[in-house]
Amino acid sequence: MQWSVIFKKELLENWRNFKWIWVPIVFILFGIMDPITTYYMPKIIDAVGGLPEGAQINIPQPPPEQALLMSINEYSSLGVLMIVLITMGIISGEKKSGVAELILSRPVSFTNYITAKWASSILLILVSFITGMMFSWYYVNLLFGDLSLSQVFGAIFIYGFWLILVVSITMLISTLFKIPGLVGFISVLIVIFIHMLTSIFRHILTYSPANLSSYVSAYLYTGEMTADMWSTIFVTLIGIVLLLTSSIFILRNREI
Amino acid sequence: MALLKVEQLTKSFEGKEVVKDLNFELETGKCVALLGPNGAGKTTTLRMLAGFSRPSRGTIQFDEDTLSKDIRQYIGYLPQFPVFHNWMTGKEFLVYAGQLSHMSKKEAEEHADRLLQRVGLSDAKKKRIGKYSGGMKQRLGIAQAMIHNPTLIMLDEPVSSLDPIGRREVLNLLTELKEEATILFSTHILRDAEEISDEILLLKDGQLIEHGSLDELSQLHHTARLELDFRSVPEDVREVLSHFDFIEHVNVQKNTVILMTAEGDRARKTILKLAAEKDWDLTRFELVRSNLEDLFMKAVNR
Repeated sequence: MQWSVIFKKELLENWRNFKWIWVPIVFILFGIMDPITTYYMPKIIDAVGGLPEGAQINIPQPPPEQALLMSINEYSSLGVLMIVLITMGIISGEKKSGVAELILSRPVSFTNYITAKWASSILLILVSFITGMMFSWYYVNLLFGDLSLSQVFGAIFIYGFWLILVVSITMLISTLFKIPGLVGFISVLIVIFIHMLTSIFRHILTYSPANLSSYVSAYLYTGEMTADMWSTIFVTLIGIVLLLTSSIFILRNREI
Repeated sequence: MALLKVEQLTKSFEGKEVVKDLNFELETGKCVALLGPNGAGKTTTLRMLAGFSRPSRGTIQFDEDTLSKDIRQYIGYLPQFPVFHNWMTGKEFLVYAGQLSHMSKKEAEEHADRLLQRVGLSDAKKKRIGKYSGGMKQRLGIAQAMIHNPTLIMLDEPVSSLDPIGRREVLNLLTELKEEATILFSTHILRDAEEISDEILLLKDGQLIEHGSLDELSQLHHTARLELDFRSVPEDVREVLSHFDFIEHVNVQKNTVILMTAEGDRARKTILKLAAEKDWDLTRFELVRSNLEDLFMKAVNR
């Protein structure tokens, strides 16, 4: 009851500040940018010119799987940055402005407060991500060849967990610090740190959530969901639960 | 019956005690003013009572019936500078606040309409809060503190930031509210406390220096003030009056002599007798009950 009140309020807020319009648009742009520019690259180079007379332009067109992975790559850099930017104020913004005083002077359960806000962000981001991927799939099919819808949904399913983890990290940092800019900065650092750690200790950290993008690639080429991949998803889920629990714990024990 | 009992309440920030060993009880149905100069620890005290900040020491105990439950259900709180979701309308915010306090949507909407009417915001209820003036926000703040019919309403400096008209409206509103709930409000303006409160808690440097009803306090500090107006002040008046040990202080202004005394009756008799004997040309003689302002100044400057 109280949970849905907060959840609905968050949805309404995101609607009134137009997040439900511009976030999906941005995700669509991220999704179609790379496949389209890759396809038209020879023409672009041709039009721009500057190549010596008689030079042969021979850029092989990637298979559809790789074209779709380009979109995933875009989401793992610009997309993640975007997610951090729209999530960083989720708790810190209300604390900083002082609205939190009016809200938390009511018998609001901290669990409801955190999870409802989290769920509304996840909804916005997943809807945007799925929409972006659908657009990407459309162009990949059009320009690079057939790719089945089920494969695209498999990719969305696997990579979605990484995006949810990013939201959860930002959310935890948002309960720790009051300045949204600082929250964004630290969250991005943490994501970069996870990536770095994973590539340095690749042989030990097989189940690191940062590996999800390579599992997406493996899945797209082989069409199989391996045991390692499921384990990684499981580890990611545990991470998400831990982050949420810590957020609730911190909010409960911090002075507002 | 005590609604709230505070014992040894202390709060320190970085080793400095901002609130020191407060002990008091709030009785059901009373309107209590938390009075004190700026920086006396009023906001810190209210924030501890509202549960925003943890006491460094001491206990806050609510009425036994509410012990096991979330006490925030029974409290309506208005911070000194209330901030709302500016993208909401006034009514939306009240309904949201009511629902957070476990009211049904229908219940919250009905109550919100009634409250908006009462605080004079009916016409603005569909306007975004971002467009409200300071006074309107303050009134909306009071409405949100009342939306869930709390037993205790706590208001932090509810009138300090308002212009005289807004101040008057809010004071009238608080007077009405006294019938419905126990009120604890902080202020540094004496007249506001004097006007609407039944009891005052006087804070200075984080310590409770006076506590009691207005009548009790003025009896405790039963200094009376005598004002004498003369056509022309007799030259020896100060000398004559200072002679009596029950007269504490004599102040001669242009045509007026002001006396402070602990024994009003005795001073009256003596002075009237003197006036007859010495043939003083008195034009006015007034025995004024010592008001809160004298008490306030006396307490704060102590």
